[in-house]
Amino acid sequence: MRARRPPLPALLSWPGLALAAAVVVSYRIAGGDLGALLAPGARRAMADFARGFWPPAHSAAFLSSLARPLAETVAIALLGISLALALAAPLAFLAVSPRVLATPGDPPAAPRRTAWLAARVLLNLMRSVPELVWALVFVRAFGMGPLAGVLAIGVGYAGVLGKVMAEIFESAPRAPAAALSAAGAPPLGAFAFGVLPGSVPLLASYTLYRFDCALRASAVLGLVGAGGLGVQLELSLKMFAYDEVAAMVIALFVLVAGVDLLSQLVRRRIHRSRGLFPLGLGALRARALGLAIWALAAWGAARVLDLSWRDVLSPSALASVGGFAASLWPPDLDPAFLRQLAPAAVVTFAVSVLGTALGALFGLLLAYPAALRLHVLAGGGRPAFARGVTLAAVAWTARGILNLGRTLPELLWALVLIFAVGLGPFAGALALGVHTAGVLGRLYAEALEEVPTAPFAALREAGASDAAASALAVLPQAFPQLVAYTLYRWEVNIRASAVLGVVGAGGLGGLLHVSLSLFHHHRTLTLLLVIVLLVTAVDLLSGALRRRLVEGPSERAEEGPEPAVPAVVDAW
Amino acid sequence: MHLHRLGRLLALVLPLLPLSAAGAEPLRVSAIPDESPTELLRKFEPLGKYLEAAVGRPVKFTPVTDYAATVEGLAAGKLDLVWYGGFTFVQARRRTGTAIPLVQREEDARFHSKIIVPAASKAQRLQDLKGATFAFGSVSSTSGHLMPRYFLLQNGLDPDKDFAKVAYSGAHDVTAKWVEAGKVDAGALNESIWQRLLDEKKIDPTKVRVLWTTPEFHDYSWTVRGDLDPKVVEQLRAAFLALDYANPEHRKILDLQRTKKFIPTAPGNYAAIEQAARAAGLLKD
Repeated sequence: MRARRPPLPALLSWPGLALAAAVVVSYRIAGGDLGALLAPGARRAMADFARGFWPPAHSAAFLSSLARPLAETVAIALLGISLALALAAPLAFLAVSPRVLATPGDPPAAPRRTAWLAARVLLNLMRSVPELVWALVFVRAFGMGPLAGVLAIGVGYAGVLGKVMAEIFESAPRAPAAALSAAGAPPLGAFAFGVLPGSVPLLASYTLYRFDCALRASAVLGLVGAGGLGVQLELSLKMFAYDEVAAMVIALFVLVAGVDLLSQLVRRRIHRSRGLFPLGLGALRARALGLAIWALAAWGAARVLDLSWRDVLSPSALASVGGFAASLWPPDLDPAFLRQLAPAAVVTFAVSVLGTALGALFGLLLAYPAALRLHVLAGGGRPAFARGVTLAAVAWTARGILNLGRTLPELLWALVLIFAVGLGPFAGALALGVHTAGVLGRLYAEALEEVPTAPFAALREAGASDAAASALAVLPQAFPQLVAYTLYRWEVNIRASAVLGVVGAGGLGGLLHVSLSLFHHHRTLTLLLVIVLLVTAVDLLSGALRRRLVEGPSERAEEGPEPAVPAVVDAW
Repeated sequence: MHLHRLGRLLALVLPLLPLSAAGAEPLRVSAIPDESPTELLRKFEPLGKYLEAAVGRPVKFTPVTDYAATVEGLAAGKLDLVWYGGFTFVQARRRTGTAIPLVQREEDARFHSKIIVPAASKAQRLQDLKGATFAFGSVSSTSGHLMPRYFLLQNGLDPDKDFAKVAYSGAHDVTAKWVEAGKVDAGALNESIWQRLLDEKKIDPTKVRVLWTTPEFHDYSWTVRGDLDPKVVEQLRAAFLALDYANPEHRKILDLQRTKKFIPTAPGNYAAIEQAARAAGLLKD
């Protein structure tokens, strides 16, 4: 599926030039000043900050006080993703293209097409609002506490899950469902027995992957009062208790890495057990066991958070949410306010572009040393032992840096970087860049490792240096995939950049925070609409660029905004 | 306004509902996070014990990180007693229509904010701040945002137009840190926290100086929701007013609250704040 278009012409074509221009303009708009990072004041601030981090707080009392927020963070992620699944499943079923389940020769009925369109629009809407914005809104509607966090992840992730599920259903082989339909099965029956069984493993592994993301998200939801470790993190950051911050970051790092590992193991098992006959007895038993474990864990999570259905569905809860929703309408269209919005939207856009560009740059620089196999090859097959050890050390260091960037969410990086470069969008762009470098670097490294090695070996044989051989024989091959990942990440980053203002990094998030704090609900609605518009515009733009830059877009490339999706799906 | 009517309706109806086991229900207390919530928790501990004895119910303090959450909490009946700033009280009163301010510290009746700048700053008067970057505390803060903004406007400085950049640090001590580190050209914070930061040497006085002090205004209050059992309301009020600085037990409580005594307060005390909020564009109808 990898396109073989050489990189230079693509970068020199109009989308490439437009992107380069956008990065330069964004740098100006975001108040970019890389020199500020090296100014003595910034260096001192960073040094103070780094000194404060070591040694991490490790008193028994403090560490035991972390247990509860950590458990809450996991519980919020687990319940959130369960809720997301429950919301996404019916929507995904409706969002499957009507043609898939239609009886051959019989065009789908109008209501079915309407339901399809409605489900698609709803999923896109849920997906366009960043989960942190959902959290801000739910904290207002349901009050502070973990419930808002669960709902934010539930609704936000349902949008992504639903979209990906629908696409997995659509890409399932059509023959079984068609045969069932031809034999007279109703659409639901044809779906349940013709489409669903084969899709379950892919669904399960994608859901698990999303759980990892939810865990990271749940750790910052506390910053807006939605429970979990984020509450504690914000307190310690505000008190300049960096030793506590360090301890929490390490705890979060270990937790995320642990869950990552566990979910990778499970995903690999799911993949291996994916046989020719998906409904074998063994597979059924494994699925039942998996479901039972999940249900038990969700029940436990609800107990930890002390949540019940009544918190959401009791008449008084519904009345208060209804009251909140009603108070949003109509949006504030006061021209003076709208004039304030335009520059904020531009800043948010610029931060997303600059953050993605910085992330791609640093991600690539770290991906090379992290792609261990490349180095092994560079030594000409089997490396000498000492050289091998050095290379492994370099690779693991690079991976460690990438992991650190990835584990800490943008918002936390922003809180840190504001101290180095001052308030404003540039701190936000840098924070986005650091986190993005972590995410993209890992994906880049994987892509680089998968590149066919013959051209590299040939260039080395011919006497080319390591650097030249990597630049000429590896990068061009991986290029389309790198571009695709980067553009996906941009779609994620526009969502992130829309909320960075909450911590003082400029853009729409700052205005949103002010309007919510002051109960200016009509303005809140206007801001939500602008965020949805901006995010949708970037999604469309990024899709168009991807098609233009990456020749021969695969259908897979449409799956979800997360760059790891194609990796996850393609691997199997 | 609908909310007021709804609030009044609730106030009429709620006392009629059977309050099962009201005696065992804890009194739920919170405070605006104008300082770090762990500090708030520490400050509250002896006061909480004292109130527990006074009302004969367990007292549960929930720290929060968001000013507006305390307003929502009181309006939703999830909190019974809250330490509000002047502006958050006005917001709570507007949301509920019935929230009752019980007491304030004696210094809250004539409170001030400070505008601070780095010691090396060239600014000598407020007007010199034109074109500066400026930090307020939380958006919802009275002494960290509303009143400084209001008095700046009164003195011909519109923060939205005359400052190069306006940022919200989230809390008073953070604002001071930002100014000390030169992250902003100037900032506004509450005088009592400024004094504490100096006393505790959290801020280096050779690096930061006060440029201007605002005129006085009413600030903080301990406020209960309007539909709380009137008997409990009276017990709470009496308990606060009975705190006596001569009594060593009480002194511990009062020292932590950074006052010598609590005095009664009334909604009318905050009318000026409401007007200021309207004038500064923070309140809309």
